[in-house]
Amino acid sequence: MNYVDLFRATLPETVLECAALLVLVVDLAFLRNSALRMRAAMAAWLGVAGCLVAVWAVYAASPGAFSAGNDLLLAAGGSAAVAQLGILVLTCFALLLLVDSGFTRNPGEFVAVVLMSAAGGLLISAAQDLLVIFIGLELLSLGLYILTAFAKKSGKSAESAIKYYLFGGMSAAFLLFGFSYLYGISGSTNLQRIVLGSYTSAAGATPLLYLALVMIAAGLGFKVAAVPFHLWAPDTYEGAPAPAAAFIASVSKVASFALLISITAAGWHFLDVLHAVGRMTITAIPPGAPRPHGVLGFRYGWSLILTVLAIASMILGNLAALVQVSVRRLLAYSAIAHAGYILLGLAFFSPWGDRSAQTVLYYILTYGLTTIGAFGVVGVVERVTGSDRMDAFLGLHKRSPLLAAVALVFFLSLAGIPPLVGFWAKFNLFAAVLGASQGALPFTLVALAVAFSAVSLYYYLQVLKRAYVMPAVDGSPIRAHPVTLAALWVIAAAVLLLGCFPSLLQGWIAGFYPAG
Amino acid sequence: MIQEAIPFTPQTAASSITQILWLIPASPLVASGVIALLKQPRRKPAAALAIGSLSVSLLLSLAAFAHVLAGWANGHAVRETLNCTWFQVGASSVSMGWVLDPLAAVMLVMVSFVGLLIFIYSVGYMAHDWNFVRFFCFLSLFAGAMLGVVIANSMLLLFMSWEIVGLTSYLLIGFWYERPSASAAAKKAFLTTRVGDIFFFLGMVWLFSQTGTLLFYNHGAGSLEGLALNSLLAQHAAFGITAAGAIGLLIFAGAMGKSGQVPLHVWLPDAMEGPTPVSALIHAATMVAAGVYLIARVYPLMSAGIPLMRTPGVTAITGALAVVTWVGAITAVFAALIAIAQNDIKRILAYSTVSQLGYMMAGLGLGGVAVGLFHLITHAFFKSLLFLGAGSVIHGAHEEQDIRKMGGLWSKMPATFATYAIGMLALCGFPLVFSGFWSKDGILEAAHSGAIQGPYYLLVFGALLTAFYMTRQVSYVFFGYWRGHHPAHESARVMTMPMAVLAFFAVTLGVIGTPAWPWFRSFLNGQAAHFDWHGFAEPGLLSLMAMSSFVVFLGLGIGWWLYGNKSPSPEEPDALEKAAPALWAGLRDRLYVDEFYGVTFIAFYNWWARVADWLDRRIWGGIVALVAWLFRGWAQLNRLFDNDWINGGFDKTCEEFSSSGGLLARVQSGRVQIYLRILALAVVVLVAILFWSARP
Repeated sequence: MNYVDLFRATLPETVLECAALLVLVVDLAFLRNSALRMRAAMAAWLGVAGCLVAVWAVYAASPGAFSAGNDLLLAAGGSAAVAQLGILVLTCFALLLLVDSGFTRNPGEFVAVVLMSAAGGLLISAAQDLLVIFIGLELLSLGLYILTAFAKKSGKSAESAIKYYLFGGMSAAFLLFGFSYLYGISGSTNLQRIVLGSYTSAAGATPLLYLALVMIAAGLGFKVAAVPFHLWAPDTYEGAPAPAAAFIASVSKVASFALLISITAAGWHFLDVLHAVGRMTITAIPPGAPRPHGVLGFRYGWSLILTVLAIASMILGNLAALVQVSVRRLLAYSAIAHAGYILLGLAFFSPWGDRSAQTVLYYILTYGLTTIGAFGVVGVVERVTGSDRMDAFLGLHKRSPLLAAVALVFFLSLAGIPPLVGFWAKFNLFAAVLGASQGALPFTLVALAVAFSAVSLYYYLQVLKRAYVMPAVDGSPIRAHPVTLAALWVIAAAVLLLGCFPSLLQGWIAGFYPAG
Repeated sequence: MIQEAIPFTPQTAASSITQILWLIPASPLVASGVIALLKQPRRKPAAALAIGSLSVSLLLSLAAFAHVLAGWANGHAVRETLNCTWFQVGASSVSMGWVLDPLAAVMLVMVSFVGLLIFIYSVGYMAHDWNFVRFFCFLSLFAGAMLGVVIANSMLLLFMSWEIVGLTSYLLIGFWYERPSASAAAKKAFLTTRVGDIFFFLGMVWLFSQTGTLLFYNHGAGSLEGLALNSLLAQHAAFGITAAGAIGLLIFAGAMGKSGQVPLHVWLPDAMEGPTPVSALIHAATMVAAGVYLIARVYPLMSAGIPLMRTPGVTAITGALAVVTWVGAITAVFAALIAIAQNDIKRILAYSTVSQLGYMMAGLGLGGVAVGLFHLITHAFFKSLLFLGAGSVIHGAHEEQDIRKMGGLWSKMPATFATYAIGMLALCGFPLVFSGFWSKDGILEAAHSGAIQGPYYLLVFGALLTAFYMTRQVSYVFFGYWRGHHPAHESARVMTMPMAVLAFFAVTLGVIGTPAWPWFRSFLNGQAAHFDWHGFAEPGLLSLMAMSSFVVFLGLGIGWWLYGNKSPSPEEPDALEKAAPALWAGLRDRLYVDEFYGVTFIAFYNWWARVADWLDRRIWGGIVALVAWLFRGWAQLNRLFDNDWINGGFDKTCEEFSSSGGLLARVQSGRVQIYLRILALAVVVLVAILFWSARP
């Protein structure tokens, strides 16, 4: 245990916390008498600056993994670094959406909570230990509950926050219960040791392991809004203020999937160690003989749970989205469907060359970026028309051509239409699934996912049809704050550019992993 | 006549001009995007953007050309490439890149220069069109894509640019979409070229599967370089053709579509429905030449198996090149025959273009890249000149296109007449002074000494026909007396100036390709060029030149004898028609190719469409309706479960509790309780699934 190492490893988190305090201080001490717009802009820009310093810190601290004894607590580089940088960039965009929205009179506090939550996200992206994971998750989640409730004048906001909180509390309880079982089985809180223990100790072969895995899946399934742990999502997406919803839909998802990658990769990387032993044991078993839990335990159970969640999420998310009339609820169900695709990538995980981890991160980062943009558009439309119904989008093309154009880019990218980045995300992910494991099951599931992507086009086009084809009821122009508009344009340009040159992001992500 | 083949030392390191080569296509592309956002009345900015961006491309192209030229003068065969990975799927990756070599440099300068002149001309020609801005948007998009085709170092990038070129061709042919004939012609062009493109695509996929790369040149690892070619040569497809030859033929099918080779030529004459500058730029000078350029680009593939550097006496030819040659020669004669009996001024030029493209293909097949490409370049200049002249005539004659209703224009439109005459003589191959003579002579000479003799006679016959139909056209349009209704007038300066510039090049370009100074050939092949009168002393060359001159004079003479100063009225039958009515009718109706397609392919597709329609309505429609019904039911069930059952149940409960106050708290606690029950239930179900599936 070396505190200098700890400081270096947690430098980005520290930067974010300091920035959060700075925002609070500036807002309270210097801007007390300023106009609300000014305070919101100042807080948002300070937050963005804090994130950018943290980006620098991630680069500066990149070799700084942190261990206690032989056990790794915080990973560095690889998936952790990619997810952390993604979280920071997405937080910047979510903060910029605040500039134009007037739901709160305390923008400083909002930004501070956002930054603290983001710090929790950074922590769980790197965490390799159950305790760190749990602390990070709570740090992230508690902030999200507060953000959801931030529109104090809106009953909906408070209602959805309390639902979110209760559901989250219950999930956290399950998660902690599952963690305690894992500790009991393996005698360690370190992910690698737990997996090792699940294979080597006698307890690893007991049903207790499966119970623990299901409970953990419940806790994390809540975070990524996987069916059947998704029930909070539509209400929360509908009730939360737009920047908070964008933050929940993007940053929290990136962090949670990064955590899922850590857990899954721990299970699979361990296989590398046991490669020879495992191969021998498995081949030695005659067909029809009882399956040895001790060898297949963690991997088999985890992969099966993820598969079930993935199938349920893809089907239910896409079908439920078809009948929504609120765009926010639609985005919630679409988020559930996207979580299903990503879980598929995790269920059929290939440790070789970190390919699965890279494609999952590619998917979640680009999805997060696009969905922030979509929420930005919804926020602007909602502010002017007072509604997030699909009909609020009627004639958007005439009312604000630029906004309609960026909405077109975002929704088509979510549907996975080339040459937008959403297409490459799906393409890479499905290719990785097919490349990771042979057989009829992954192929069937990928076919199902592709078919449901086609279904999803229907509900995305419902929004675009109102924006472009159907006549406007109210023809008055919609004006957005230049900062919001600029942020949306940057996101749209990125979605298009990364779609045209997919190797830019692919190469960037691959650069964080050891070559080979 | 060919100099000793001393290959220059290769120079492949990417210089600074190669690194910014992408700006050449990017500049018009960006301009096109910006113009697309302009409002319709913004004429001046649109034209200025289009012309300005293409000027940038021209300057950069000239710089690139100068760079290649400097390298050549220093004894380097410049072939600089810049490649990057576009995207990666697992272990295989798809790369993109661009290449700068003499071939690309020459084409870059030609396309951007001719393009710029035609852009300027269009400002005058389209001045009164209400869709002026849209026109320049499409034109810029075309220029960008065409320049992309030229610099592409990857088959995929080339194919993508190629398809954008096809798209803009479609958009511009159908530019006056209110006219049914224009939109029909646009569709025809799009569909016909698509037939070729399917084969092109197949060839590309085959090439990728065999060589693992779509890059042309990549420091020895490209698909057109020794290693890949050898592996392709080692494999045999069917009928004794190597894989290299088979892939080459598939690619050639794509080139046939774009370059209007028989039997895929039918779209090009109809494409004249587009505005005349479009005909000049796209359907005479550049896009239709893209097919020829494509074959020149993949020439190493087509010619794999025989020595690349042609030396006198070596007359070997690969199967693929033989096909190219025969298709080209047949097209040359076929289209020239039809051109004789057409009365639309632009249609005659269109068939003439098809015929000349046939010459280029034959030249590629028999004489190599330099021979075919030299004709491509000279043709680009004199044919776009002829089209611009035709546009000027149409403009001056009040949108009249029938040559029988014109006449005597030489005195009314002197500038147009002078330039048109130069273009016409260049096209006919009038001896010594005009560039067309030297480029066509190169092809005839290659055909004469080639491995197969058949094409040579076809090409000579084609030359005779060319001189004949052009004389007929010029006699009708410019000589005799005026048969139109309103008096004709000369066109504006903005239109005649580009024609004058093109006319200048139609004459002078011949200098760089004479046998005495075969500069162009040496430049493309990467050899030194010497000025040497003995070039003419090549055995048989002078007699060949005399023979081809004789053929041209014969054609001009017959034409003048039949049509000169006759001024027949529009109703009067044609001079040839009187002599051979049956033959005339066949030629006038374009040798019934369209009709043949009508009763074969189109009839088959109509029948097939009816079958598919029936299947759609009766079988698939029913299945789709059933699936839709099932899914809708499912979705409704979901909604029932999610919204109505859970939420609705609570709404009811809420109403009951509403009197007792604290509504919100109760709603929330109630709903969340159910949520949490579902959570717990889900955990139990998941554990059950896991145990059940993992049971021993």
